[in-house]
Formats: sequence, structure tokens, C-alpha cells
Amino acid sequence: MTFQLSYLFLILTLVIVASIIARGKIARYLTVLFSALVFMFVVLNNMTLTNFDYGSLSILTLSFQLNFVSSVLLILISFIGVFVSLRYSSSPGFFVLLQFLLFSLIGIFTTRDFILFYIFWEMVLIPSFFAIGIWGGSNKNYAAMKFFIYTHVGSVFMLLAIFTMYFTEGASNFSMATLISGINAIPMAYQSFIIFGFLFAFLIKLPTIPLHSWLPDAYVEAPSEGTVFISALLSKMGAFGLLVIFSPIFMASSFAGSTAVPIALMALGVFSLIYSALVALYQKDLKRMMSYASIGHMSFITIAVGGFLYLNGSNPLASQLLYYGAVFQLISHGIIIAMVFALVDTLEKATGTRQIPSLGGLARKLPVLSFFILTAFLASVAIPGFSGFVGEISILLGSYAVLKYYLIFVLIGVVLTASYHVFALQRTIFGPYNEFLGDIKAKKEDLLVAILPLAIIFLLGIYPALLFHTFNIYLMPFLGGIH
Amino acid sequence: MDLSIILTFLIFGLPLIGFPFVIGIGYIKKNYSMYLGSALIFISFLITLFLFFTYTVNGTVIQYSFNWLPSLPAIIPLGIYADNLSMIMALMVSFVGFLIILFSVGYMKEDPNRHVFFGEMVLFTSSMLGLVLSSSLIMLFIFWELVGLCSYLLIGFWYYKPNAASAAKKAFIVTRVGDVFFIAGIGAAILYSSGGALSVTGLSSIHLVWQKTIVSLLLFGGAIGKSAQFPLHVWIPDAMEGATTVSALIHAATMVTAGVYLIARTYSIFTPTSLTVVLYVGIVTIILSGLIGLVVNDIKRILAYSTIGQVGYMVAALGLGLGATSIGLSIYQLEAHAFFKALLFLTAGSILHAVMNVRDINKMGGLWKKMPITVTAMFFGALALSGFPGLAGFFSKDSIITASYGVSIFAWALLAIGGFLTALYAFRMFFKVALGKPRSNAAEHAHESKWIMLIPILVLAAFSIIFGIFQRGFYSFVEGNPVTLAFGIAPLTTLDLIPVVLMLAGMGTAYYAWGRSSTIPSTVTNGAKDFYLLVKNKFFIDVFFTNVIAERGIIGLSAVSDGFERRAIGGLVNVSGSLFQNSGKVLRKIQTGLARQYALIVLIGLILALILLRIFILAGVIH
Repeated sequence: MTFQLSYLFLILTLVIVASIIARGKIARYLTVLFSALVFMFVVLNNMTLTNFDYGSLSILTLSFQLNFVSSVLLILISFIGVFVSLRYSSSPGFFVLLQFLLFSLIGIFTTRDFILFYIFWEMVLIPSFFAIGIWGGSNKNYAAMKFFIYTHVGSVFMLLAIFTMYFTEGASNFSMATLISGINAIPMAYQSFIIFGFLFAFLIKLPTIPLHSWLPDAYVEAPSEGTVFISALLSKMGAFGLLVIFSPIFMASSFAGSTAVPIALMALGVFSLIYSALVALYQKDLKRMMSYASIGHMSFITIAVGGFLYLNGSNPLASQLLYYGAVFQLISHGIIIAMVFALVDTLEKATGTRQIPSLGGLARKLPVLSFFILTAFLASVAIPGFSGFVGEISILLGSYAVLKYYLIFVLIGVVLTASYHVFALQRTIFGPYNEFLGDIKAKKEDLLVAILPLAIIFLLGIYPALLFHTFNIYLMPFLGGIH
Repeated sequence: MDLSIILTFLIFGLPLIGFPFVIGIGYIKKNYSMYLGSALIFISFLITLFLFFTYTVNGTVIQYSFNWLPSLPAIIPLGIYADNLSMIMALMVSFVGFLIILFSVGYMKEDPNRHVFFGEMVLFTSSMLGLVLSSSLIMLFIFWELVGLCSYLLIGFWYYKPNAASAAKKAFIVTRVGDVFFIAGIGAAILYSSGGALSVTGLSSIHLVWQKTIVSLLLFGGAIGKSAQFPLHVWIPDAMEGATTVSALIHAATMVTAGVYLIARTYSIFTPTSLTVVLYVGIVTIILSGLIGLVVNDIKRILAYSTIGQVGYMVAALGLGLGATSIGLSIYQLEAHAFFKALLFLTAGSILHAVMNVRDINKMGGLWKKMPITVTAMFFGALALSGFPGLAGFFSKDSIITASYGVSIFAWALLAIGGFLTALYAFRMFFKVALGKPRSNAAEHAHESKWIMLIPILVLAAFSIIFGIFQRGFYSFVEGNPVTLAFGIAPLTTLDLIPVVLMLAGMGTAYYAWGRSSTIPSTVTNGAKDFYLLVKNKFFIDVFFTNVIAERGIIGLSAVSDGFERRAIGGLVNVSGSLFQNSGKVLRKIQTGLARQYALIVLIGLILALILLRIFILAGVIH
């Protein structure tokens, strides 16, 4: 039996409506239900490629697809839904916004129609904007506006690219399949613009340096629960776009096999990795530091996509490693960064600060929290035994086939990444105890919830097949038979 | 699945699964975790012993692989590969590891966090066991990283000491530099062998020489980091901030031997070019560490530099390029070193325990009378380290020096000089510790340690003395032949005499300079002041890494990036934002409400539109 996507959308809408009507804690519990439904949907659809066609509505084609990237991302969505509602007792309004956001994300990750894709893409901005603007920190208005306008500029170019495809191909609808397959027939100038438009939108969302400056402000100013879902899920929109929308477009276009764009992507990825690590090394605010760590993690995906497009199927082993590595990195980064930001929040609640110089020697007073921070940071450094390792090592091994000696730059980035994590650990949880902090205590419930992400990243780290067996044979035909 | 396969998995699997329990049981009673930890490693040792005598001695290679990522069309194998080389390593690691953990039971019994300590020690040993039994480079790398992680945790175990926290960070980052070379090496091996090199036996499918050279040099880069060879040796002396038993484990059984094992395991792809690099990196390391060892006063740091030097001999032996003979020479030195270095560290630990952790050898002295058993054991350790005829170090090290004669006389000369330096610094340390009068209050009140600390010391001392008789059988075993049970040593030649003479000269010099009150050291120091300062500052390698690369280079670059981030990128975004706001302010002024002005603007617009239309028609854009 298959769980129809239309039913899912219907039930989820009802859940959202119920959350709006209900008062008190019910919205929080409904978010758990919401996530459970999403998870059930993925499991019942057997985690393979499933198409859902519901005809068309005027020029909109109501066709959806659950492919292996979206399966993984839907699992991540359900995890974040559960995690945030267990970890944070925010106001009911927040949970309604969260559900709305998760709903839009499910739309993005499943739709096969460009207009719907754009609509869902823009819908995501609304809850994020309000989450930052209402519950944010001292500089929330600036951060919220910056976030909204910056990412909206990217979306506009994507919309223009979509319309360029539609009008120049003379298509009758906005179905992704039709528009992508027809792209190589139109003039090169238009093709270039389409490639640019999508790339620009996705690289902003990912984000890639230098298109990232919305991110540190948004992450730092957002309330902790907002940071968790923005960092874990919103950056995945860009990655999903690169892997599932941009790659097929590029492969189908006349640019397929050319190296300029892939090289540029890889260069941007490598630059992002090194630059974000260097900036992170200098940060005093733990939350800001980890925002840059998040950029660093996502840059592996840029490198992987660039390498994958560069190879153009010529080295199947390396291509597979890169693509699988990128998909694995999606879920592992999502969970690790959620855990990190939640722990930083616990730390801030306990000590009253998240400035690294004001901390020190926390292992003495907060051994359990220190243990969790240590493991979360090590997971973020991609130590074996944690899921971060699987994604990163696959991408590194695969990218040798593309980068050869230039791999040294990626490796410098890897060392720098390790450096700032370890440097921060040395000054926060190790070293002599900072007596100015006084007698501090961490909230027990918060620590208990941290076991959940830790268990998952550990399980995925030692037995990646748990997730990888969802990655089925459908990848290759899905990308247009490039192998 | 065969019993032997399951048992081989258990060698490292048992302590790996067991280590959380070691920590967990400590919450019931702290001492239980000490017993459980020792028991786990002891069982591993027993299993290894059983497998060794049931399978390995008969020439059976136990191997089993499974696919880590089953749904990937590409196969990423994980599994075990236990041939002679792996098993002899596993035997040594579990045996020496067990003795060190046993010693820790006495050494750490006062520490409030000892359950965590024992958990980490067990994880450390099991990671090393997993490393030597891995069937693929990926799995080897996984355990390689775990070994690095454990060293990070254990060096920083006394996290409240700023030096320990800083040393842990340094060890982690420096070995990480090596590790990324290892990653690149695996990537290169996979590419050049079309995926075959994912298993250790598949490395032979790399055919071209230049490809082999690249892969082998990259792997060697990883080995340099872990095995603390020049120029990445800087983490090891600082790592002495950890507990002495941790140092013993890092230096004898695990960690530093991992790099040597990696080279031995992948020896088939080392080309003459890369072997030359390996040889001279080893030699440079020996000479540098020998010189620095002469001017350091911290007893543990002297031992640290001696480790760097002795591992240098292992690396140099591999660099000689004598095929399987090289592996035999190197691994034999590795095992002999494991015994006498563990012995030296444990005796040093025992001494430090007695003198309240004063590590300066200038503040010791006269300890032979106070702690006769420990210091006698240390004497044999120092003899073995210097290669005194008849002891383990002699057979292992002099064979390497003699073997190098056939490869390059230059290398031979340097290796022999290295032997002289080794004897010199080893006995400088020993005489300062053991002879003379106590030079501090703590040394005055030193006393012998407990039996649980003495037993491992005595066992290790026995092995350091008698290990030589296994020499010939060992070589042929590591070279892949079944065990012949041939006790005995390789035949000696006159060439073997020269290192012995040099070693005795070193011992004698050490006695004259430091064994009694003498002015020789200060005369030499004042005579060659520039050179002394150069050595005393460790050839400025640490300074270069810390002050130039880390603090000026990386932190500087980081500050610049941060400034650029805030001013340039952040500024640009804000400027473009305010540009639109301000343009709105300017354009707002057109809204005057005067109908005549609006009419004028409409007229101007119309004319502009017509002109544009005309231009487009002329240009052919619109037909």
C-alpha cells in the first residue's frame, strides 16, 4: 500500500488548522504528530522513487515525486520537528509557524512543477521571517529584514530563469520534466541565464561565500529554536536545489560536459570552506562560530556537486562517492548542527553567556553538558563513529579524482575546521574553571533530549547502511541517464 | 562464519563494545572500572594468543570483508585481515597494553575520574588493535582517527591544567595535518587502482611508478604525523602533560607505531624515490631528536625525544628498501622498542609517583638507593635503549645500522652516530636520576612503589633483556614464513662492532660528564654557545610552527578574514541596501502634485520611447 501524498498534505493541513485553533501546549504535541506522519509517509512509500500524479490545475501540473534525496530530507524534517518540539517549550504560535515551514519544505522537496516549487520556496520565508522578527535577539529586526530581502533576491532570479525556460521553449505547462528536457534546444544566451538564475538562488540559500552574509546574522539573532530549524533545514533547500534541480538542468543543457561551471562551483566550495574556517577561528561568540561551521559543512556539498558535474559520469566510482557523500552530508549536517545549536543554548542558559573568553573549564561543573558539547564538536569535525565522517570522507575520496593536487586546499580547510573546534573546546570546556561563572547548573531535561540526536548520528556513523539502503537504484535514471 | 573470524573481530570488538561499560560501571564503584578495563584487554590478549598459536603459526591468514555501504554500487569493504604482520602487532599491542593498564591500576587509584580514564585507555587499545587488523584502508583510517581521538582525550585528561588542554589541542591538530595526507593517499590509491585499493591486498593493482610514488608519499605523510617524525614531531614532547601511563601507551604500544605499521602494510607500493624520502626523514629525525634529547631536563621529555629517535630507526629501516627484510628489521625494532620504552615510561612514572611529580632530572639524583627495583629496571631499560650487546635494543637497532651499510655508507654513518647520541642522552638521564645525592626534598623522601606497579615493570624488564633470542625466528616470521621456532640471533659480523664501540663511548662520556660532579657540560655549553642555543631551542621548529605559522600566519589570516567579512562583505550588503532606500528618498521628490510637471514628464517619456523605438528599428531588433 502506498500512502498518497495528497492525503499527507490534507492531513497535515488539518493538523496545522487544529494547531491554530487549539490553545496551550497542544500545538507542541501536534508538531510531534505532524513529524510522525511525515516519517510514516516516507517509510510506507518504501523509500524508493514514487511518483504521485494528480492531473493538472490550469497551467500547474500537480505532479509530485518522492525520490531518494527527498526521502532523506523528509526524514530530516520529521527529526527536526520532533527534536524542536521535545527540546523547546516555545509559545504555540511558534509551533504553528514551524508546522507551516515544515509543510512548505515538504512541498519543495516533492513537487515536480516549477511554479509550485517557487511558491513553496517563497512560503518558507514567511515563518522564518517571523520566527526571527518576533522571538529574536537584540538586533532581530535588522537580521530578519536582511534574511528576507537577501534570499528573496535569489528567488527572483530563479523565477526569471523559470519564466525564461517556459517562454523560450514554448511549453504548455511548468512541469519540471518537460522544461528540463527541452532546455538544450533554446539559444545559448538563454541557457546561460537559466543556469545562472538557478545557481544564484541555490548558492544564496546554501549559502556559499560570498553570498552568505544573511546567514550569521540570521543564525545569531534568531531564537535558539529558530536557529535549529533554519540551520538544519533551510540550508538544505539550496543543497536540494543543487542536487535535484540544478544538476539535471546542467546535465540536460548544452553545457553538459563543459568544465567552466563545475570548476567555478568547486572553487567556490573550497573557498567557502577555508574562508569560513578562518573567520570562525576568530569568533568569540560560540553561536556565531558555529554559524560559520555550518557554512563550512555545506561547502562540501558545493564541492561534491561541482566534482560530480565535472566528471560527467566519466568515473562512476568517484561520481557515486561524491553524490552519495553529498546526500549523506545533508542529513548528517542537519542533525549535528541542530544538536550543536541546542547545546549552545543550554550552555547559554546555564552560564548566562556564550562568549568563549567568559567560559572555561566547564568540564568541572557541567560534566554531562561538556560531554555532549565535546561529542557534538567532534561529530562536527567528522571523527569516525559519527555520521559527519561518512559524508565527508566519501566526498574527500571522490574529489581526489577531480581535484588531484588541488585537493590540498580542501585538506587545509579540513585541518582549519578541526583547529577552530578544538581551539574552542580548549577555551570553553577544558582549562581551569572560570570562577566568575559561580555555581552553575544545566537543565536536566535539555541534556536528556540531546541523547536523541547523539544516538542518531552515532548509529548513522557506524552503520550508514541504515540510511544508505534507502538510496536506491533510482538515482541514475532520475538524473537523466548520465551514467 | 568461521570461529577464527569471529574471534578476530572480538580481539578489538570486545574492548570497543566494552569501553562504555567500563565508564558506566564506574558510577557504581570507581574501582570496578579499573578491574573491568584490565580484564577486557587481558581477554583480548588471550584471544590473540590463542589465534596466534592456532592459526597464524600454521600460516593461515584470517580474512573476512563485508560491504560497509551495501546499496552503493561501489564496494567499500570493511573487515579483518590477520596475517603474520598483523598478528604479531596485535600480540604486542594487547600484551604491552595490558601491562600498562595493570600499572595504571596502581598509578591512577587516587584520581576521582579514573573510570573515565580507564574507559579511554580501553578504547585507545582497542582502536589500535582494530587498526592493525583492518582489511581495508578505509577501516584502517577509521581506527587511525579513533587512535588520534583517544590520544587527544587522554593527553587532555587533566583538562584543568592549561598545559594539558593546550598540549591535547596541539596533538590533535598536528596529527590531523598528517591525517589529511592519509585521506589524500587513500583517494589517490582508489583512483589509480580503479577502486581495487579499497582493500589492503588490492594495492598491487596500482601499476605505474609515478602513481605508486604519489600514493606512497601521501600515505607516508600520514605516517609522519602519527609516528611523530620530522617535521611533525612537535606534538609528542608537549603530550607529556598527560599521565605517564598515557605516554607509555602512546609511545610503546599504540599511536606512534601506527605510522610504521601503515608503511609496512602498504610496503609494496613504495618506489625507490619514496623510499629515499622515507630513509632520510627517518635519519634527520634520529639526529635531531638525539641532539635535543641531550639538552632537555624534563625526564618525560627526554623519553619523548628518545621515542622520536627510535621510531626514526623503524622508519629508516623501512626506507632502506630491502623488501621483506626491511619490514622484519623495522617491526622487530618496533616490538623491542615497545618493551623497553614501556619499561622506561613505567619506571619514570613510578619515580614521578615517588617524587611528587617533579619532572626535572636536576631535582632528582640518588634514587638508586631509594627505589632499587624500579631504578635497576630503568637501568636495563636504558641499556636496551642504547643497544647494549645482549639486550633487545642491540639486536634490533644494530641490525638496522649494519643492514644500511649495503645501501648507503652515508646513511650508515648517520645511523651509527644516532646510536652514539642515543647512548649519550639515555645515560645522561639515567645517571642524573640514579647517581649522586638527592638534589631536592622530594627526591630525599622517595620510596619504592607498590607491587601492582612493580609486576608490569619486572615483566617488561624481562622482555627487554631476553627479547633478542627471538631475532631470527621473528625476521623469518614477519617476512611471511611460518614459524620455525628457531630461537637465536642473526650472525654478527665485524661491522656490528662499530655501533657497539660508539654506544660504549656514549655511555662512558655520559658517565664522565654527568655520572659524577664535573665541569664538562658547562664547558661544552659555553664553548659552542650558538650551537647549544640552536639545540636548546629545538632547532626553532616548534617556534616556527607555533609563532610563525599558527600565531602570525593562521591567526593573522583569520583576523584579516574576519575584518574583511565584517567591513567589506557586510558593508557591501548594507551599502546596497541603503542605496535602494536612498534612491527611494530621491525619487520621492518627483511626486510634487503639480499637474504641469506631470505633463512635462509624460511628454519627455513619450519622446524617449519614440527615440528608443526608432533606434530598435534601425538596429533590427524590432521588425
